[in-house]
Amino acid sequence: MKLTTREDKGIVILEPKGKIMGGPDATLLHDKLHELISQGKKKVVIDLAKVDWMNSTGLGILISGLTTMRNNGGELKLANVTEKIQSLLTITKLITVFETFESVDQAVGSFN
Amino acid sequence: MKKVIRKNNQIIIPSSQLYLAKVDSFVEGKLKKLKLNKNQLADVAISVTEAVNNAIVHGNKKDPEKKVTLRLACDKSCICIEVEDEGKGFDLNTLPCPITEENLLKEVGRGIFIVRSLMDKVDFIFKPEGGTIVRLTKYFKNKE
Repeated sequence: MKLTTREDKGIVILEPKGKIMGGPDATLLHDKLHELISQGKKKVVIDLAKVDWMNSTGLGILISGLTTMRNNGGELKLANVTEKIQSLLTITKLITVFETFESVDQAVGSFN
Repeated sequence: MKKVIRKNNQIIIPSSQLYLAKVDSFVEGKLKKLKLNKNQLADVAISVTEAVNNAIVHGNKKDPEKKVTLRLACDKSCICIEVEDEGKGFDLNTLPCPITEENLLKEVGRGIFIVRSLMDKVDFIFKPEGGTIVRLTKYFKNKE
């Protein structure tokens, strides 16, 4: 998994690419989310457009990011959720936990 | 054991999550030759990483002296993948349900639940001499 970061209107947008399956690549995303909190950046969108798939480790990282952001007065939202990840979120009922948007622009706009 | 062993349709790895990507790559290479659609490929790949991760973490407790073995077999109707660890096994009946309200926000505990959702058949074989085999089966149906 590769991870790029950019900002739009004060919102941090994380763009993971590839597969999120555990091991070192998963740590990358987890560490980035916690780094953002330490920098006081608490409004985050994860753009999942280029994520092929993720397993339960990936879902755990998203939950960790969400709860950590919320516990620090922030929010984490998901954009461009692919069909496969949408299916996993539905199976695990995590679709009821995350705010998901069809585009990054919509997710960014929802913070205002 | 410190290295990966590949032999035909089998790969053996040390008990470290550092090797998950190697297993995924190995399985992906084998699956490409089969008539699975993109969705089915993802289902199998996700399930394999879940089973291997469980074998490393829960089965072998990340003991570097223990190995995880993955075997693939297929016929005209299905692909079957076995993931074997050297652990003491576990009680399937004690697994917490990850979709109950009290477990929904837990970061772990969804692996087997997801595997059972994505694969057509999942068998657990607890060997009397120790070690657990998780057998994952996906039928070649609904090709797109």
